[in-house]
Amino acid sequence: MGKRTTGQLAAPASWHWIGERGLQVATGAATLARYEHLLKKKLPDIEDIIPTDNSILLILRRAAPVSPGVSAALSEPLEKEIDGARGTLHDFVVDYGGRAGPDLPALAKRARMSVAEYIDCHSAAEYSVAFLGFQPGFPYLRGLPTALHAPRRASPRQRVASGSVAIGEAYTGIYPDDGPGGWHIIGRTTAVLFDPLREAPALLMPGDRVRFVPA
Amino acid sequence: MIEILRAGLCDMVMDFGRPGRGALGVPAGGAADRQALAAANRLVGNDEGAAGLEITLAGPRLRFPQGGVVALTGACFAARRSSGAAVAWNETLMLAAGEILALEHAVAGCRGWLAVRGGIAVPRVMGSRSTFLPSGMGGYAGRALQTGDLLRCGRAAKETHLLRATPPAETGNGLRVVAGPQINQFDDDGLKAFFGSAYRVGLASDRRGLRLSGAPVTHHETALSSQGVLPGSIQIPPDGQPIILGWDGPVTGGYPVIAGVITADMSRLAQLRPNDTIRFVTIEIEAARALAAKSWEIRELA
Repeated sequence: MGKRTTGQLAAPASWHWIGERGLQVATGAATLARYEHLLKKKLPDIEDIIPTDNSILLILRRAAPVSPGVSAALSEPLEKEIDGARGTLHDFVVDYGGRAGPDLPALAKRARMSVAEYIDCHSAAEYSVAFLGFQPGFPYLRGLPTALHAPRRASPRQRVASGSVAIGEAYTGIYPDDGPGGWHIIGRTTAVLFDPLREAPALLMPGDRVRFVPA
Repeated sequence: MIEILRAGLCDMVMDFGRPGRGALGVPAGGAADRQALAAANRLVGNDEGAAGLEITLAGPRLRFPQGGVVALTGACFAARRSSGAAVAWNETLMLAAGEILALEHAVAGCRGWLAVRGGIAVPRVMGSRSTFLPSGMGGYAGRALQTGDLLRCGRAAKETHLLRATPPAETGNGLRVVAGPQINQFDDDGLKAFFGSAYRVGLASDRRGLRLSGAPVTHHETALSSQGVLPGSIQIPPDGQPIILGWDGPVTGGYPVIAGVITADMSRLAQLRPNDTIRFVTIEIEAARALAAKSWEIRELA
């Protein structure tokens, strides 16, 4: 068994290796602030920086121990706290239920609500983009009312239509592309979440705010 | 110019991919064995990261109306040239005008790379010519090649020399891994299964991930919030059947990661085909770093 502490320098930030090029750093509530701090540093040994809800993955260009520059950038105090919901507000018109949202009746039942109550509850909340992942441009939206949390489907669907609005655990999200998916589908929007030919390919960015408007 | 007389199973234009866009949910992608593509490019006088073809299990039949300089690396495919000349791997090949290069099935392994002098001149999308099938972007019209497609080639960076490439010597057995961030979430039986038994590569494997089947890797804790992941990360979903994330895999994942394939063995990962069996061997991270530095050698063909 490999020693997981191997090669790690003592530093205030806590991290784990994922392969020899992936450095996973626990960043908690300061994830976005630390992400922006790292971006500004433009560190030459970092190939990519991937923020999620509570951690950041740094992908190093080469399999090497953590450089002093990276170590410093991970432990330096942050200039300011970044509010996770201060970005652009986007409204998405959603066709809830029916063929666009086949899992809506079951989810409403699970939440002990009528379908109409479920739609009201989902569309009354304001969400913030925690991070993008799973597919290009797929937003993990924070702020789902607790009553609507639901574990992922036992077996994923082979094909989920692009624009599908979905529920997975504590998040709601929107599938940018057609493809397999394990979240519950409650509706669909016509918005194009990812277009590689746009100047900004991903419509939503971490920190952006989102509201759903029933069609 | 290359004319696709008959498409293979999944021929895709690939370069070094589009790293640095993980925060948008976009994986780096690119050639499954960067070093093999780089070597093929050097053999034809291209920059290492020029776009070539990645061919999988069954290759295409290609016609070169104006001739061309090409090189093949990676898995060996049954192959022939219309001129009757031998099709050598890891060497510069000069094709006459109108010559046909027919690649059949992979004799061993899964993926090969074909570089052509000048590189394949498809447009860059998000900084890369690599095909990314899940979003239908990059490469030739965002898809694998089809019979009848015509590929234009660019200009080469360097003069043509007849060269031979030698891959780094194969060392070690199995697929070498370093322990992953959630290794503590697995119980003794789970760890024993993962490190002690063989796993079969499933039919549903592709560039997004290799789905394995074998002794279930049991957890004592499955809860995890999403984390960033990268190619080679080995996730264990609730059913205990490992998934090795591939080059076009998601950039985040919600399953515990038990281990990560070392950089040096990512080329071995690229050659696994459905029904192959593999075993995992754990090594220390310093040893993995030392192995990662090994590269191909290129020499003049005597």
